[in-house]
Amino acid sequence: MSTISIESVTKRFPNGFEALKGISTDIAAGSFTVILGPSGAGKSTLLRLLNGLETPSDGSVTIDGETLEKATLRKMRSSVAMVFQQFNLVERLSVVTNVLTGRLAHRSWVGSVFYLFRNEDMDIAQETLARVGLTDKAWSRVDKLSGGQQQRVGIARALAQRPKVILADEPVASLDPVASEEIMGLLREICDRDGITVVVNLHQVDLARRFADRIIGMNSGKIVFDGSPKHMTQSVMRTIYQREDIEDDNSLDLALAYA
Amino acid sequence: MTIVSILRWPTPNGLPSPPLVASLCAVLTTMWLTAPLVEVDFVRLLGSLGKMAAFAGQLFVEPDWAYLPQLLVKMLETIEMTFLATMIAVVVSLPLGLLAARNATPHVLVYRLTRDLLSLMRALPELVWALVFVSAVGLGPLPGVMALAFVTIGFMGKFFAEAIEVIDHKPVEGVRAHGAGWLQVRMFAMLPQALPDFVGTVMYILDHNLRAATILGLVGAGGIGYDLVMSMRLFQYDRLLLIALAIYLVVTLLDRLSDLLRSRIIHGARA
Ligand SMILES: Nc1ncnc2c1ncn2[C@@H]1O[C@H](COP(=O)(O)OP(=O)(O)OP(=O)(O)O)[C@@H](O)[C@H]1O
Ligand SMILES: [Mg+2]
Repeated sequence: MSTISIESVTKRFPNGFEALKGISTDIAAGSFTVILGPSGAGKSTLLRLLNGLETPSDGSVTIDGETLEKATLRKMRSSVAMVFQQFNLVERLSVVTNVLTGRLAHRSWVGSVFYLFRNEDMDIAQETLARVGLTDKAWSRVDKLSGGQQQRVGIARALAQRPKVILADEPVASLDPVASEEIMGLLREICDRDGITVVVNLHQVDLARRFADRIIGMNSGKIVFDGSPKHMTQSVMRTIYQREDIEDDNSLDLALAYA
Repeated sequence: MTIVSILRWPTPNGLPSPPLVASLCAVLTTMWLTAPLVEVDFVRLLGSLGKMAAFAGQLFVEPDWAYLPQLLVKMLETIEMTFLATMIAVVVSLPLGLLAARNATPHVLVYRLTRDLLSLMRALPELVWALVFVSAVGLGPLPGVMALAFVTIGFMGKFFAEAIEVIDHKPVEGVRAHGAGWLQVRMFAMLPQALPDFVGTVMYILDHNLRAATILGLVGAGGIGYDLVMSMRLFQYDRLLLIALAIYLVVTLLDRLSDLLRSRIIHGARA
C-alpha cells in the first residue's frame, strides 16, 4: 500500500510559469524520502501540492486512497503535517500554544473562539514537547527561542497533529550543522518509531545520503533521478544539479565535490 | 564640478520620480490657492496674541474648591462614558475588522461593504451623532456613549483591518497547513500578530475618546462638557481652571497606563 500517490501532476502558476512538468511517483507508507534539486527545480511547489497549499493544474494527488481536492482538504490536512524552513510559527504565542495549534484540525471552531482546548490536547502537546526535548521551554514565547529550538517546536506541532505524513521543506536551511544534524535525526527517529511517512526537501547532499531511504532528484520541474542513496553517483549528481547556464562541466564538478 | 553632477536620487536616471513630483506640486498648489478661503492670516494671528495673554492671565485665580465634589462626579461620568463606549467599540469592531481586511475577509464583496459601512460610521464627528442620539433617546450619558461607540467602531474597524493586512503570511500558512479551519486560522495566526497594533490603537482611541467625551456635554449628552462650557460662558475661571487640570490629569494618567500596557504586550509579560 502506498501512502502518497502523485499522478502526472503539472503546476502552472498564474504568470504562466510551469514549475512542475508532469510528475508521477508513489511514496511508500513509513518511508523516509529526500527530494534534492537546484533552486527553482520545483521542490517546494511539489511539497506544497501534497498539503493542498497549492492545487495542481493537471493530474492528482492521492493520499491513503483519497484524492486531495477542495472538499476533502481540511480532513486530508489533519493527517498531513508540514515543517517549514522559516518555521512558520506564531511568534507572539507561547511554545505550547503553537504546539496546540497542531490539534486544531481535530477541534471545532466553537472552543477556538475562546482559545479553549481539551485537557487531552494539552497532554498531547506536553508529550510531543518532551519528545523534542523542549519541556522546560513550554511557556516561553517562541520569539525568545533559537532557530534550532524553534524548528523543534515546529516538529512538535507537526507531531501533535498525530499525522500519517510529515512534509518538511528545507527544515535545516537556516540552522547550523549541529542543529541540522539534530533535526534530521529527530525526523528519522519519528519515521522509524512512529511509522510516519517523511518527505524532506534538502540542499545538503551529505544529509540526504545519510538519512534517506530514497532520494528523488528534481531538475526544472521533472524527476531526473529516483533511487536509494547508494545509487547517487557523481554522474547522477551532475544530472540533478546541471544548469543550462553552466557550460563548463568543471565548475559544476568542483561545486559538487564538496557537496 | 557642479553639485548637480555629484548628487543624485536612487532612480535609474538620477531624477526624482515624476508622479511624486507631480503630486507634491498638486498638493502645494491646492494649499496655496485655498489658504485665503479659510482665512489663514498671519498678521491677524500675531495681533491676537495680546488678547490670548489676557485670557490666560485670568486663569490665575484661586480655584473654586467647593466645586470639587461635583467635578469628581462629572469627571467620573466622563471616564465611564469613555471606557464603556471604547469597550463596546472593541467588541464590535474586532469582527468587523476581520471582514474588512483584504487577507481575512470571506469575500471581496463583504470586504467592500464592510469598508463602506465603517466609513459611513466615522463620516460625521461624535458631536453630530450625539445630537442625533439625543433627539432619539433623550438627554444624559446614554446618547453620549452611543455616539462615541458609533464613531469609534468606524475608526477602530478600519485600523484593525489595516493591522491585519500587514501581518506576516508565513505563520498563517503554518497554522493552515495543519488543518485549522477558517475561524481558527484567524484566531490563532492572524489576531495574535495584529495584537500589538490593536492595543496601540485602542490606547490612542481611549485618549481621543476621553477628550471627545468632554465635549459631548455641550449637547446634553452627559459628562464634564456641560460644566466646562457653562463656566466659560459665565466667566467662572476658578472652575474652568479645575476642570482643565482634571482633564489634563486624566489624559496624562491614561498615557502612562497605555505605555505600560503596550510594553507588556509587545515584549511579553514580565519581560
Ligand atoms: N507563486 C508563484 N508564482 C510564479 N512562479 C512561482 C511561484 N512560486 C514559485 N514559482 C516558481 O516556480 C519555480 C519552482 O519554485 P520552487 O519554490 O518550487 O523551487 P525550489 O525547488 O523549492 O527552489 P529552492 O531550492 O530555491 O527552494 C521557481 O522558478 C519559482 O520562481
Ligand atoms: Mg524551496
